[in-house]
Formats: sequence, C-alpha cells, structure tokens
Amino acid sequence: MKILKFLIPIYFLIGTGYSFSQTLFGTSVGEVSFYSDTPLEAIEAVNKKSGCIINATSGELAVQLRVTDFNFPNKLMQEHFNENYLESEKYPTASFKGKIKEEVDLTKSGNHAVTAEGTMTMHGVSKPMVVKGTINTSGSEMKLDFKFQVKTEEFQIEVPSLVVTKIAEVIDVTGKMILVKK
Amino acid sequence: MSLNIKKILLAILLAGLIGMLWIPKSIAQDDLMKMLEEEQSKEPIYTIATFKATRMINGQTIETISKNHLNFWMSHRFGAVNSGFIANFFGLDEAKIRLGLEYGITDKWLIGAGRSSLEKTYDFYTKYKLLRQSNKFPITLTGLAGWSINTMETGYVMESGAEMRFNDNLERFGYWGQALIARKFNEKLSLQLMPTFIHYNKVEHSSIDNNLLALGFGGRYKITKRFTLSGEYYKAFSDPGAYEAATGKEYPYHDAISIGVDIETGGHVFQLHFTNSRGMIEKHFIGQTVGSWEDGDIYYGFNIARTFSFEKGAKNKDK
Repeated sequence: MKILKFLIPIYFLIGTGYSFSQTLFGTSVGEVSFYSDTPLEAIEAVNKKSGCIINATSGELAVQLRVTDFNFPNKLMQEHFNENYLESEKYPTASFKGKIKEEVDLTKSGNHAVTAEGTMTMHGVSKPMVVKGTINTSGSEMKLDFKFQVKTEEFQIEVPSLVVTKIAEVIDVTGKMILVKK
Repeated sequence: MSLNIKKILLAILLAGLIGMLWIPKSIAQDDLMKMLEEEQSKEPIYTIATFKATRMINGQTIETISKNHLNFWMSHRFGAVNSGFIANFFGLDEAKIRLGLEYGITDKWLIGAGRSSLEKTYDFYTKYKLLRQSNKFPITLTGLAGWSINTMETGYVMESGAEMRFNDNLERFGYWGQALIARKFNEKLSLQLMPTFIHYNKVEHSSIDNNLLALGFGGRYKITKRFTLSGEYYKAFSDPGAYEAATGKEYPYHDAISIGVDIETGGHVFQLHFTNSRGMIEKHFIGQTVGSWEDGDIYYGFNIARTFSFEKGAKNKDK
C-alpha cells in the first residue's frame, strides 16, 4: 500500500494547485442601478447585493443579482416592478456571463478600458450583449464600472398602455463594484 | 477487510486524479456563475405581495405597508341590494362609510386609525409582521391588536333592534386581537387563516358573552396581473341558543361572508365586493353582522386604497 501513501500527497498537491493557478476577484455587495426617464416620471432603483466574479487570468466574468433586491424609494413601485413587470417570482435573477475581449492583464495595477461580450439573462429571456466598462486594479482590489442600456421590449417586459408614458422604453443600467481577490 | 477498503480508496483516488487531469485549465463562465449562485442561495428569498393590500375585504391581511408609507382607505357599504329600486335605488341611496389611515413605522410594523359612520365608532389598531414566508419558511404570521370607541348617544337603537345604554365611557370600548396566518401557494393563489378574539365591554343582552372567539378563512386568486378574486368568511363561536332561551327572540347576528374583486391601477387598489356585513372593523363585522345571505341581505361595497410614500427621493405620482 505504499502507492497509496505516495498518491495522497500528490492528490492534494494538484488539487490545491488548481485553485491557485487562477486569479479570481469577486464581490457579493456590488451596486447595480437603473434609471428610467420620461417627461412624466423618473424612476430609479438600486440593488446593493449584486454578485460578481472575474477570472483575471482568462478574462471571463459573471454577474448575477436578485431582482427582488432592487430598492425603490416608492415601495408600491417596487411591488409592481416585481409582480407585474419583471415577474420575479417566476424569474428571480438577472445575470450576465461573458468574456472580456481585450487582451489585458487585469491583475496589473492601473486603469483598463474593457468590453465584455456575453449573454444577458433577465425576465427569462437570454440575449447576446456587449457591455463596456472600466476596471481599475490596485493590488488586491479591482474597481469595476459599467454602463449599458436595456430595451424593455427585447426582454419581453410588457408595459401596459396605461403607464406607457411613464416608463421609458430604454432603461439605463449602471454598475459600480469593488471586487476583492479571492 | 482493511485491504479491501484500501483498494477501494486507491481506486477512488486514481479516478479523481484522472478526472482532475481532464478538467480544462481555466474556470469557465458557467463555473463562475455557479459560484455566484452558491453565494446568493445562502440568503432566504422572501415572498412578496401575498395579497394586494392590507385588507382583504372587511378584514385585514398579513400585509403591512413599508416604512414611511401612508395608506388612505376609503370604504363604503351601501344599503341592501334587495331594498328596492324606487325606495332605495338597490341600496345605493344610503351608505355606511369608513375613512382610515395607516402608516408604516417600519417595514414590518404599522399603526392605523379610522372612523366608521356605523355606530359613530373610532378604531385604532396596530399590526406587526412576526414571521415571513420565504423559500425556507412556509407561512407569514402577522399579529393584529385593535381598540374601538363607540361615540353614539346613550340609548341608541342598534342595527339588531336592541337598545344600547352606556353607564360610563368605559362601556363604549371594544378590543380585538387577531393572528393572521397566510401562505402564498403560487403566483395566483394565497390563503389566509384568522383566529380572532374580541371583547365587548358592553353587550346588548346579558345572555351574550362579552368575549367572542372566531375563526376566519380567506383567500385570493389572481385572474390577471391587475385583477384578483377574493373571498372571506368569519365563523363566530357565539351562543345563539342562550340568547334565544333568555329572550325568546331569534339571535340577530350571522357569520360574515364576503366575496369581491381587487383591481389594481398603479397607485390605487380598488376592492369591489358583496357582503352581508355593513361593519368594516373587526368588532362590527365578526360579532355583529345583522344581514344574512339566505335572506338576501347583501350589501354592495367598495374599498379604495391610496398609498403615499414619504421616503426620500420618492415622488407621489402614479406609476
């Protein structure tokens, strides 16, 4: 059984080696907010519990948040947002997974302008999407900012004609996250 | 025996080693997503919007309103629909009214007050959400406590026909406590159970107990996003036999049964219903409902709720 004694250390050596070979940055308290503006009404909501993980080695990343974590100043709006528009009971999360196109070393300190290509999923609809943003790396921290627009129609979010003048067709979404090395 | 175990262990380790070599070097997007999901699944997902409003029809629901939000309730119960067209325009000629306000002190705790034209009664109540339904817990439990003051002149005639005399102001008070237990089964169906205790400081006849226990059932079924059916039934555990034996008259009160619809239009909730009760507070409709469905004493009524937000940054416009 000498082989067993020999094998176990190798096993753990390789096993732990795997997790060290990747540089992961992550957070579970990222901020994602959206803004809908029409002449009649401005609606703003923020989600401060968004999760994000970036693999700095490969440039791959994933963002996920719970739709019910969006906070509106008017709670009635929040209820309608969840019940009538995003149907968060049926589709509890919204997410993006993709890869950063540019060949940059994200582990290096400094400002990197990045473009992520991938799939966005919300309201049960998945769409290919390109999101532009910046990553500011300093040591073990990574500051991620991004901004993009969502057309409600593209994700089959129905806005009844009664309130169509109060909810914008194109919603601005911004994200602000500080990721730490895992 | 121990050799066998070692052999199995060896096989597992070897298999694991081979498996590891097969794993591609980078952690793929889906793995990142899985890591996020694992992280987020630790927090419970709370059920929202079990009911459309803080009231089902006459009674309350488990819902409270959010912090710094104010609800204005305007409720009407018209006359009996069988009271004739010429004489009473199917009941619409007359109405009992209740105006009420409720305010969210926290997201789980509200206070409310109202005034009913029925027996010119003021009511004050508080509601606290003790337990919340989530993906890890099956029900929501809300506690309700209320107090009412009857401000009619002494010696007035009640809806039941009895004369009510007050010897002191204490006799004008009524109290109630309620446990509201609800479960949202799916997007459409929510059911609620309401064990209730009511105490009347003064009742119209000595054969009627000052304390009343009741059990309510209610629920809603959403037809569309904005249109909901609702129903409510309160079984009062009163003792009609004792009253009939003592007075020789029929017990005047019946169990309250109501059915209705909720229509939601952004800032407002409209509740339209038919009920055999004209009271809109617990002490009235649970214990002192005079109408009965069998006799056709059905009243048309509505509640309108308007919510205002006093949270910073909120504009009080319809969505």
